[in-house]
Amino acid sequence: MVANIKDKAVICGIGNTEFSKNSGVSELNLAVRACKAALDDAGLSPADVDGMVTFTMDTSDEIEVARALGVGEMTFYGRAHYGGGAATATLHQAAMAVATGMAETVLCYRALNGRSGHRFSSGVSGTITTADAIHWGWYTPYGLLTPASWVGMFTQRWMHLTGVTKDALYEVAKATRDYAANNPAAFFHGQTFDRAEYDAQRMISTPLQLFDCCQESDGGSAVLVTTPERARDLRQSGVAIRGVAQCAARDQEQMTSFYRQEFAGIPEMERAARDAYAMSGLGPEDIDAAVIYDAFSSIVLWQLEAWDFCGFGESGDFVQDGALRPGGRLPVNTHGGQLSEAYIHGVNGIVEAVRLVRGTSVNQPAKTVEHALVTSGVGIPTGGALLGKQD
Amino acid sequence: MTDYRTLAFEEVEVGDKLPSLEIEITTGLIVSTALATRDFEPVHHDKAVAQATGLPDVFMNILTSQSFMTRFVTDWSGPEAVVKSVDIRLGAPNVPGMVMTVTGRVQAKDDDAGEVEVAVAGENNIWGMHMEGCVRLQLPGS
Amino acid sequence: MNDEQQQAFEQCLYRFVGRQVCARTAAKDAVNEAMIRHWAETVGDANPAYTDAQWAARSARGRIIAPPAMMYSWNQEGFPVVAQGRAPDAQTELVDLFNENGFTGVLGTNVKQEYYKEIGLGERVHLEMVIDNISEQKATARGIGYFFETLASFSDQHGDLIGTQRFRVLKFIPPETAAAADGGGAEQDTLQTPTRIAAPRGHDNSWWWEACDQGQVLIQRCRNCQTLRHPPRPMCGECQSLDWDSIESCLEGELLSFTELHHPRIPGYPLPLICGVIRLREGVNLVANIVGAEEQALAIGMRVQGKVEQVDEKTMLPQFYPAENGVEK
Repeated sequence: MVANIKDKAVICGIGNTEFSKNSGVSELNLAVRACKAALDDAGLSPADVDGMVTFTMDTSDEIEVARALGVGEMTFYGRAHYGGGAATATLHQAAMAVATGMAETVLCYRALNGRSGHRFSSGVSGTITTADAIHWGWYTPYGLLTPASWVGMFTQRWMHLTGVTKDALYEVAKATRDYAANNPAAFFHGQTFDRAEYDAQRMISTPLQLFDCCQESDGGSAVLVTTPERARDLRQSGVAIRGVAQCAARDQEQMTSFYRQEFAGIPEMERAARDAYAMSGLGPEDIDAAVIYDAFSSIVLWQLEAWDFCGFGESGDFVQDGALRPGGRLPVNTHGGQLSEAYIHGVNGIVEAVRLVRGTSVNQPAKTVEHALVTSGVGIPTGGALLGKQD
Repeated sequence: MTDYRTLAFEEVEVGDKLPSLEIEITTGLIVSTALATRDFEPVHHDKAVAQATGLPDVFMNILTSQSFMTRFVTDWSGPEAVVKSVDIRLGAPNVPGMVMTVTGRVQAKDDDAGEVEVAVAGENNIWGMHMEGCVRLQLPGS
Repeated sequence: MNDEQQQAFEQCLYRFVGRQVCARTAAKDAVNEAMIRHWAETVGDANPAYTDAQWAARSARGRIIAPPAMMYSWNQEGFPVVAQGRAPDAQTELVDLFNENGFTGVLGTNVKQEYYKEIGLGERVHLEMVIDNISEQKATARGIGYFFETLASFSDQHGDLIGTQRFRVLKFIPPETAAAADGGGAEQDTLQTPTRIAAPRGHDNSWWWEACDQGQVLIQRCRNCQTLRHPPRPMCGECQSLDWDSIESCLEGELLSFTELHHPRIPGYPLPLICGVIRLREGVNLVANIVGAEEQALAIGMRVQGKVEQVDEKTMLPQFYPAENGVEK
């Protein structure tokens, strides 16, 4: 069992910029505005911030964000690695810093011009950083250059082993589209969607078609983490981090762990789930709603299994029974997810998970959400967090 | 009989974008279109001759580029439009294995003549600009 | 070429301005349905104005018209160009003059067609062409050269003008190979066929790729505990030994998964392209392309057989085929 920091850090503020396909501003601009929005939400000022965490992939340095925001002395700053695997890892680092007293109020942020700037769909190129170059070199000559190609390879085998069909992938996509239709911040706001439209889209990398793939978006999202004591005095009711965990499992690669004896699985997420449940004292039956990282439709299914909402191979039936829907067992990605709201590398998902616990989601389920799960990207070292109302 | 619609002059605004068109460049396409335009120059059907000019393979002939320009614009306008001119600056060759994406936008309208001018660009995914220029079209009044 | 030589050359050159390339000549065939159909099929143009007689009869025009972009096609010489070469004319003479003086490079830069009159089935296009103008000497991105422009006029059987075409060509002195190798602007003009993105080679993997270049797929083996590992890495994860050698794979295996790539198109990669994960008989997995079969013919669990093949000008890669009698497990 890892160290227990249950409820020792609380999310007190959240912020998003607008999401678009062409922000027209720098990524730093987006980062700073998302951070400011999170501070405003909490009723705090930049001077109250003494820590920051972002993704290694983020282009806005902590000190640049600090200077732009007007933050004073920072006593903690850190970065989390591995693309979308860093989403809840930012929260993890912030919680550890706050719990240990290394910092009192930590901003987690991620901002990207993911559509107008560098697009992940354009593939890894010859200019990738040298640290990863050798690893990618086992895939690039064959054409495995994009996230869809890597995830397609996993998905094909997983579907073969489980018998899960495209019906389940469609349901994941369709549920996010229906939530997004009702979310004015979502790319697909106000738009209808059906199976015929899903089926008609072009193939990206078998078996993934266009609407199995997330958006490419411009935007920023931020989450503010502080101590339970301080959180009690702030504008919003606090959302406590009940459990948080990360894991890089054996024979882990970034997106391409094809050299495991069995690669149709995400053992790193299974471990993170066990640890987060253990830290929080919660189990899957206690989770009322979730934001599950959805760079691709299929990866939501694997995560439902990893977090033990159903057994291996059962996620297809689970979602096709309506579990992800507003009245279902586990409303999921109620903002529209990254498939249908925006792709902000999972941090817009943390924002939504906080809203679910606060009771302020635009698609708030009728039942009380005592606890919400939010996860990081999979196929990479990953993790997740369990959030609940602050006592 | 299929019902074909033609845009009326009044319906078109400067700035309107045309639906883009992707054309897969294959040896079959290059050879077939060259012969359909009666262009039997060996560089358009004989790889060895094309390679002797320093290119990797046979390449698309100019009459075909002109043909794709007009097709792209009349696909959008409908069949009653009358093509008045096609003015092209030629760029990199189209060779097999490439994909050319053709895009266009209305850049001017001439009310007196009932003509619109469409800026068109055809870019292949490997060497970039293959053709760019403009097509003038006369559209019927509403 | 010194100033004097240039003057002499240009004197000859500019005499071509205004010279007729061909006198008004009738096309071999009148505008006809068959040639229009061939054109429409290959260009993928479904415009009913060219091919749908029923629609055309009810259209504002009342008849089928020839595609305007075919204007030049009617007068093309056709197959005799291949068989006998082009008959000499003012344009071939001009090109010869350029070539003799070192301006061997050729590049069509602009073509403009204007259409004055639509023509229908049975009408006959007549073409005449002149060399309309020749520029002064220019320094272009391709090299020193001259632009010349031909003007073609198209008329119908009554002599009424159908349209014109202006075609502008650059004749230039190609940069010498040696000069290009020195770097500079010329290099950017070299059109290269893109190839697969190669794996960067470092201490831990270059030996593997060098063997691949020679047609072999090797599997790294721990010299201490004999454990095989792929991809290569410096230490054995089982016994932490740094000592290793390798064995050559038989490239027989089982297909564990595959994905067929459709989008995006990336230079150097012919699509669709199938990638797979293969469990080699030696026990380690290998990522490679699956070739020699449509995706529909593939199944997880089937036997595959690989060989190292040259996939483009610069790249040797293991490629796997469904094995003979490649039955599902």
